Amino acid sequence: MTDTTEEDRGTPSPWTFFLAVRLARRGLRTGARGLWVALACLALGVAAIAGISSLRASLAQGLVQSGRQVLGGDLEVSTGELPIPASLKEWFTKRGAQVSEVVLMHAMLIAPSGQRELISLKAVDSHWPLVGAAHFTPALRVRQTLEGNGLAAAPLVLAQLGLHVGERVTLGRVPFVLRAALVSAPDQVATPALLGPPVLIGLGALPRTRLVVPGSLVRYALRVALPAGANEAATRAALAQDFPDAGWEIRDTSQAAPGLQRFLDRAGLFMTLVALTALLVGGIGVVGGIGAWAEARLPTIAVLRALGASSRLMALVLGLQVLALSAIGIVVGVGAGAALAAGIVFFFGADLPVPSRPGLYPGPLALATCFGFATALLCMIWPIVRAARVPGAALFRVPLVPTRRRLSPGPMIVPMLVSVALVGILLALAVAGTGSERFVLLFAAAASVSLVAMALAGHGLMRLAAGLAPKARTRWLRLGLADLHRPGAATVLMVVSVGLGLATLGAIALIEGNLNAELRDEMPARGPSFYFIDIQNDEIGRFAALMRRLPGVEAYSQVPMLRARVAAIDGVPVARVRASHETRWALNQDLGLTYAARPPPGNQITQGRWWPADYQGPPLLSLDARLASGWGVRVGGNLTLNVLGRPLTFRIASLRDIPWQRLGLNFFLVASPGLLSGAPHTHIATVRAAPPEQAAILRAVTDTFPNVSAIAVADVIAAVAKIFSQLAAALAALAGMALMAGMLVLAGAVAAEGRRRIRQAVILKTLGATRAQIRAAWLVGFGAQGMVAGVIAALVATGASFGVVRYLMGGRWVFLPVPLAAMVGGAILLLLIAGYAGTGAALRAKAAPWLRNE
Amino acid sequence: MDTASPLLAVKPLIAVQNLHLTLPGPAGPVNILADLSFSVGSGEAIAIIGPSGSGKTSLLMVLAGLERATAGSIHIAGQDLSTLDEDQLARFRRTHVGIVFQAFHLIPGMTALENVMVPLELAGRRDAESTARAALAAVGLSHRLNQLPATLSGGEQQRTALARAIAPRPTLILADEPTGNLDRNAGSTVIDLLFSLHRETSSTLLLITHDPSLATRCNRTLTLEDGHLAHPAPA
Repeated sequence: MTDTTEEDRGTPSPWTFFLAVRLARRGLRTGARGLWVALACLALGVAAIAGISSLRASLAQGLVQSGRQVLGGDLEVSTGELPIPASLKEWFTKRGAQVSEVVLMHAMLIAPSGQRELISLKAVDSHWPLVGAAHFTPALRVRQTLEGNGLAAAPLVLAQLGLHVGERVTLGRVPFVLRAALVSAPDQVATPALLGPPVLIGLGALPRTRLVVPGSLVRYALRVALPAGANEAATRAALAQDFPDAGWEIRDTSQAAPGLQRFLDRAGLFMTLVALTALLVGGIGVVGGIGAWAEARLPTIAVLRALGASSRLMALVLGLQVLALSAIGIVVGVGAGAALAAGIVFFFGADLPVPSRPGLYPGPLALATCFGFATALLCMIWPIVRAARVPGAALFRVPLVPTRRRLSPGPMIVPMLVSVALVGILLALAVAGTGSERFVLLFAAAASVSLVAMALAGHGLMRLAAGLAPKARTRWLRLGLADLHRPGAATVLMVVSVGLGLATLGAIALIEGNLNAELRDEMPARGPSFYFIDIQNDEIGRFAALMRRLPGVEAYSQVPMLRARVAAIDGVPVARVRASHETRWALNQDLGLTYAARPPPGNQITQGRWWPADYQGPPLLSLDARLASGWGVRVGGNLTLNVLGRPLTFRIASLRDIPWQRLGLNFFLVASPGLLSGAPHTHIATVRAAPPEQAAILRAVTDTFPNVSAIAVADVIAAVAKIFSQLAAALAALAGMALMAGMLVLAGAVAAEGRRRIRQAVILKTLGATRAQIRAAWLVGFGAQGMVAGVIAALVATGASFGVVRYLMGGRWVFLPVPLAAMVGGAILLLLIAGYAGTGAALRAKAAPWLRNE
Repeated sequence: MDTASPLLAVKPLIAVQNLHLTLPGPAGPVNILADLSFSVGSGEAIAIIGPSGSGKTSLLMVLAGLERATAGSIHIAGQDLSTLDEDQLARFRRTHVGIVFQAFHLIPGMTALENVMVPLELAGRRDAESTARAALAAVGLSHRLNQLPATLSGGEQQRTALARAIAPRPTLILADEPTGNLDRNAGSTVIDLLFSLHRETSSTLLLITHDPSLATRCNRTLTLEDGHLAHPAPA
């Protein structure tokens, strides 16, 4: 009979744990020797996650803390295109609140030189701003700046139109005096100037411009500063109770800039996914590093096994050691990530879209820590299970067969279950970090496919080298190829680690290249040159006639334009509709609405049928298929729209796929003609013209129709391209961390082979080989690995960019050979440099001492 | 020369019957041990001799439960080793077997004292430290308790390994050329200690050696040639 201890009785007991802690502590006296590369990889991946999560948190916190300022009060009630009713103002003032009325629209500002520019016009009353302060140059007060026909414009407007303070400008039909440059306004963040820089006038001056006519694309808003002690939610509830059918858009400080919040969320999601790639590449390094570390400890493990330690105890000891060392890497990574985020806020805070709040955010740092430990556990489980099962017999002799095969198989079910659980935890953490299950699953699938493809490519290279080596004409080529397929070669590890980092960087470059091609080449080539908005019903005939007369107009189209806000879906008020995260925004703001007898060009009916051209029945609606899916509404259902303050119910007749990237006149909501034809509305027109004629067309239109605003598509595209370019630069920087992790893995693999290379070099030198000949042989191997890593990275990047551009963005994908060639060339160069630098010591080793010691 | 032992009349500690060991090799299976049958009485000292590659170390591994026999049976202290799994064998070693390796195999990160404590700790002994101190005192290393192996001489390392083997008071001590890496003086000290401890603890000793003079200090000798017992050992 064998004696039993507490460890032997079933599951690990506290006794086993304390014994394992004692043994692990003793084993750690040698420090993290052999595990530095793994720890650096882990730290890098954790730093990427901690950095981007902290940055997102500081931006989100900035938005929350400045929410009152950005919103311009505690609440904003927007009545859409209807003026603020006096009853609404009274309702608030009776409750002791301060109110300020703001009107927002787009218009054309004309300089004395005749130059003109689309601007975002904000007409404000004397109470504006309720929160914070506006700053002008020269330093005037709001009242001084805007009284009479005073106007303040963003410095960009002054620069683009060559204006100086004191000059007269024209807005609509009225001359204004430019009294100051608008340096900053507290609510400027909430209204990004994609469609023109901001210009401020007094509310009293607005009617004189005659820009606001029935159907104009104008937004009236009442900003409210509640009295001390008043509750936002209670006020909102009371407002909804007292004005049940108003259909107003009410926002509080948590929704100060919903559009910007959506952009930040989406940008943050992509950045987090790229940061996850850095962690994934780092994880490969961690697996390799822990494997090598555990292998170096096999003699000690074998001694302990021979002395009676169970494989379970050994696994616990090794696991505790790796976890303790991983904690160092994780702490370093978390610290570096927090410092990185703080550094970005400190140095680039002014360039960020919202006022950020630097600081230590426990949530994101805890998330990164969890990522780090889950990754470390997942990466260590198999190397440790394998090492813990090394038999004590290994002490007695050189194994007859490689150690790997001599390990007893043992029960695999527990490590497998733990691995599956850890993968589940990592996915859950990724969902927590990104907020999107869909993107995380897509990322996981793409990452898995990429890993498998790269591992297969690495194995393929080994097989190819095995086949080619005997046929090689020179011995150095033969030696280089043989190095790639010898047992224990790091070929697969190198191809995967470098390939994955490079593929991430390459995919971002290809996506950016495709977007640039679409924005700068394709869209201007296919799309219109101008959108003209706010064309009145009684102007549209003359407008069309002008377009026919003007030289250079290549294409012209027009559609009626109204704005509508969804009030109910199938009779359920929007507040109670369970819409998807991606489509919720469309229920919280006004949407464009038109009416048409025929489907808009390029739209595809995916469900239902379009109404007959002469349809005269009850109002029907054709809805964007994506919105319908997100809202859970089907053909035959009802949509109640608030149009010009009136609730109108439409039956959904069809759903459409809309080609947004074509920049045509597209609407989420298209109604059947009839009901809406008689409602006050404006028209929107697109004009396509050759660039030399565009200035003349713009001048002719805005001179003839001062209330009509022109959106120059090229300017918008340039602004969007700039945003994408900045986002791509941030993503590329993060992908650089993934590549850096790959380089660390590469450096670790080269270093791990140091002793073998010294031995090989010594033997070859003894046989008469020169250092140049040996180096040439080794560089053959490194170059081949670089080429395969580059080619597979190019293929993966191409596939990923195709998927993102074609299916996530719905754009047209084009093949871009230059970045792909750069990827392959870069990979070869990278590996050659690493090989050259990493083998220097081996080549310099003196033969005699080595031969004596052998 | 095999010497019959009077202790054979006592109930045997080790009973080996038709033992075979075949291991996979690069060129196919290799027969390491073939049809070995012998028994060893409690308290005996047995020398195992034979040329290199004859299977001495493999026999020791099988007896220690570090290698599984391909065929045949091994009973030690009434326990059939073939019925034990890997971890049960490990527990069996903790209390019944002490091993002294030619290459010492001390754990580099642990002090001499901690190295000796390991098997006691694994066995759940609460007196691990005091027992280890006593064992080290028995081998004359009381003054070197907190030294790491790298700072000990070869002889001191092997004495530490010896203390580690005998500290749990095993019924069986397996020694694989314990003086193979030592000079004559150090080797002599270690061997004297080994036999002295074997007598004091009444344990059974199986000693692999190439030294005929050492073999003569044992009760009897088993000679291995190509995996076979050269002279059938008395049962």
